[in-house]
Parts: sequence; C-alpha cells; structure tokens
Amino acid sequence: MTKYETVIGLEVHVELATKSKIFCSCSAEFGAEQNESVCPACCGMPGMLPIVNKKVVELGMTAGMMLNCDINRVTTFDKKNYYYPDLPTSYQTTQLFAPICVNGTVEITTSKGTKNVRIKQIHMEEDAGKLVHDDWTDTSLVDFNRTSVPLCEIVSQPDLSSAEEVVAYLERLRSLLRFAKVSDCRMEQGSMRCDVNLSIRPEGSDKLGVRTEIKNMNSISAITRAIEYEVARHIDALETGSEELVQETRRWDDIKGKSYAMRNKETAGDYRYFPDPNIMPIVIDDEWYDSVKKTLPEFPEVKKARYVDKLGLTEYDADQLTRSRALCDCFESASATCGMPKEVANWLISDVMKMLNKKSMTFDMLSLDGNKLGQLIKLVEDGKVSRANAKKILSIMFDEDINPEEYAEKNGYIVSNDTDQIASIISAVVAGDPKAVADYKSGKEKAIMSLFGKCMRELKGNCDPQVLKELLIDIVNKA
Amino acid sequence: MEKEYLIKLEKVNELRLEDAERENVLAFFEKRAEDLASLEEVETSNITRMVHVMPITAGIREDVAIKKFERDDLQKGAPETTDGYWQVPRLVE
Repeated sequence: MTKYETVIGLEVHVELATKSKIFCSCSAEFGAEQNESVCPACCGMPGMLPIVNKKVVELGMTAGMMLNCDINRVTTFDKKNYYYPDLPTSYQTTQLFAPICVNGTVEITTSKGTKNVRIKQIHMEEDAGKLVHDDWTDTSLVDFNRTSVPLCEIVSQPDLSSAEEVVAYLERLRSLLRFAKVSDCRMEQGSMRCDVNLSIRPEGSDKLGVRTEIKNMNSISAITRAIEYEVARHIDALETGSEELVQETRRWDDIKGKSYAMRNKETAGDYRYFPDPNIMPIVIDDEWYDSVKKTLPEFPEVKKARYVDKLGLTEYDADQLTRSRALCDCFESASATCGMPKEVANWLISDVMKMLNKKSMTFDMLSLDGNKLGQLIKLVEDGKVSRANAKKILSIMFDEDINPEEYAEKNGYIVSNDTDQIASIISAVVAGDPKAVADYKSGKEKAIMSLFGKCMRELKGNCDPQVLKELLIDIVNKA
Repeated sequence: MEKEYLIKLEKVNELRLEDAERENVLAFFEKRAEDLASLEEVETSNITRMVHVMPITAGIREDVAIKKFERDDLQKGAPETTDGYWQVPRLVE
C-alpha cells in the first residue's frame, strides 16, 4: 500500500477583545438579548457608512507582532460579496489586497520535536450575524448582534501534517493571543474557530492532492477527530476508488463522527472582491507602530525562564503559572506586595486553581486582585491569620472587593496571642474529655491530636498551632 | 486571463457575453497585462507609495461602545419580526 502524507493549512478566526464593533459603536460584548446591540450601520441600512475602530487595527498589529509578521504600513479594506440573510449588506468587509500582517512564523512543539509553521497573512474583518431556524413557523430568525463584531483571520501556509501538529499550533496561537490580550480565544463561545484545509499525497511527492475544507470547527477534540476521519476518507478514496475526491467545503458532524459535503469550494473570483470605496486606506506611521510595539507582553516562555532563574520557582510551578496571562499578572502583583514568590505560587497553584475549578472558571476569568492576595499571604506568614482562616478569606475575595486585614479583624480571624484566654479554653476542653486525657497518659500519643482539634475548633482557628500544642501538652500532663 | 475563468466571472456577475465579446474582453485584458508588465521596468525604489489618489486616509474612532438605537425602532420597517428577531423565509442549506 502506498504511504501517504497529510498536508494541512488552517484559517483561524479569533474575535478581537474590543468593547465596540469594528465599523460602528455598538457593543461587541457576548450575551446580549437578540438584536439589542445593533444600529442602522451594522443592520446594513442604506446610506450608513463604516468608521474603523482604532483598537481593532492595534489588536491586528499586536497579533502580527506576536506571530513574527511584517506589518503592512498601508492597509486597506475590501468587499467580499455573497448573499446570505445573516449578512445584511450582502458583502463582508474584509481585507484581501493589503491585509494588516503578512509573512509570520509560529514555533510549535510536538512529540516529533519543534517546527516552524509559516503564517501567510492576518487580516481584519467583520463577523456575520446569527441565524436560528424555527421549525414551528418554518422560518429563519435573524440576530444581528454578532454582525460587525471584529475578527482577525490568521491564515497559515500548508505546513502542518498531523492532528497533533494542528492541536499544538492552535494551543500556541491561543496562548500567544491571550497573553497579548488580543482575544479571549474561547472556542466554546465561538471567539476562536477554525477552518481546516486538508489534502493527502504520496510520501515524497511535491504535488498537492485534492483539497477539502472543513468549516467552522470550534473544539480541539472535534478538530482532531475530523482530521483523522478526513485523512482516512481521502486514503480510502485513492486506494479503493470508493468515491471521487473533489475540491469542496465540508461540514463536520461530531455526533455521527462524519463529514458531509456542503458546497463546491469557492475561489476569490466567486466573491467579486473589490476595494471598499467607503473606507480610505489606513496608514500606520512609525509613532503608532512603536506605541503598539511597546505594549507587547513578555512571551510566556521568557516569563517562565525568568520565574525559574530569578524567582526560584520550580519548572512545574513556572509552567503552571505561565498558562495564563491573568495568573501571571496576579502572581507578579502578589509577589511584589509580599516579597514571597514561592508562597504566592503555592497559593495560586493549589488554592486559587481549586477555587477556579469549583466555580467552573478558566484561568483567564481570574479577577483576583494580586496586591490583596499578597497582603493575605503576608498576614499568614506574619502569623496574624491562620492558613485555614486565610483560605476562608480568599474564597470571599473571589466574589467581593475586600481588604483582607480589615475583613480578618471584623470577623474575628486575627490569631490570638492571649495565652491566658487560650489556656482557659484548653482547660475546658480537657475537662470535658477525660477519656482522651487518660489515653494520652497511658501512652496513646494520638489522643492528643483529638484534643488539639477540639481546642482549635473552639478557638475558631485563631491560634498559633505551636503555641496551642505546647500549652495543651502542659495542661494535660498536669490534669 | 483564461476563457474558462472569464466565463466563471460572467456567471458570478450575472453577465452573458457573446463569443465575439469574450474575445474582445480577453484581448483587452491581455493588453492591460502587457501594460502592467511594462511598468515593472520603471525604477520606483525611491518613490513614496501613493496611498490614495486623494491625499486622505481613513478616519478612525476610539473603542467606545454606545447604544444609540432601540431594537423596536430599528424593526419598525420589518415585514416580520418575532421575539426581537427579524423573521425571514426558511433557509435551505
């Protein structure tokens, strides 16, 4: 049997993290009631003209800089014409002739080592609306909230050759774009989605095979399954002649585990692209370019190396923290406040991550004030609040903007240094459990831990454990 | 330009050309391609790129979200709406 190799190129759409839409001032926020974030411009009403959102251009430049692209200093918009009810103007405003970024690279790592994937271009464009099919009335319902929400489309060269490489590429893109705050890249909300262009050819051949495109994939696991299915389908078609491969666009049904033909693959000619006469060219001068360049974050791997080399974290801890920009920001701010980076890393990786999981939140949804986390950790390290009570305060800090020290004082979480008061509570506990006292005195050392737990509960955790233990043993021995 | 591509462009632009017209269009494009090729010979490395025929660039705005219109007002002219949606004939995929 002939050995085949797979050739894959990706078109990845990411929704840009702006407050407003690309060509009008309507809110771009996800989750509004249907058609509540619309205006005559994004509804395609006659006579309305687009005005470009500055932040969209800046995020486009940022994406390009993160992916090692050349930035086109003169960039233009074009009209891509097609009719569909979710596109009220009957054209999508996008970029064909002078996209904002060209010629980039992204380094990926897989089980086979590292590899550079070339980026052909990044262009800015508007999203389409949403259609809901109403079976009851046999009609389609149109919601224009998403219309004109800004997107960047990142087009790779066909440099990928397996599902594993595709996953590594998408995860790398997601990490870089989230770090630079270009997009939240939430695949489940559709703010990152992907079209997979795939063909196969005999190993060693330089001639590309028939290409199919699987549209609108928004889950890494579904992408993996779709690629594996398509590769098997192509090989089967070539080996057995079971079907004729044609250049076409296909839809992936993840429940059935199959792809289906949607339409013949379009080419640029089908869309009758032409320069948008309503949007003048955008010129990016040196001053604007430099101001965006200055906002670029430290790359995740550079941060990771710094955390290990300069702050003394383990590779594992540094790796965990650099999975998210929000975690890194919180870590750096908390460390600056309390001066104990290792402690901060422990709190974030154990307690904070646990709380995020419990609330089904992702790292990037973390809004914890790093400065206040640092204050809380300092309270623990200074012996003013017990670790157990600090965890209770932390869970409040997740939902409310509180000052940890004030909250601890107000709610009786400050550790008591009053040994007379502690001794009096211990005496009462000891008097109430003569069996534990007798057990301890007869050599059962573990009995002291039962008394210790009872005393700590009575003291609501507000006691230095070492002080409590010493006083307890003393009182039990005298009892 | 190849004749097949011209026929495809006719289709997507809803045009129909007679054979003689096609020959004229193809000859026209061939001549323009030659003209453009001759421009490659011009030394342009020291010439600043012309951004637009007029000395203007795009006006851009800050990223501020403003709600200026109410849904009901925008849907006043719609033939059919339901639950805040525009309602259109069912789409066949």
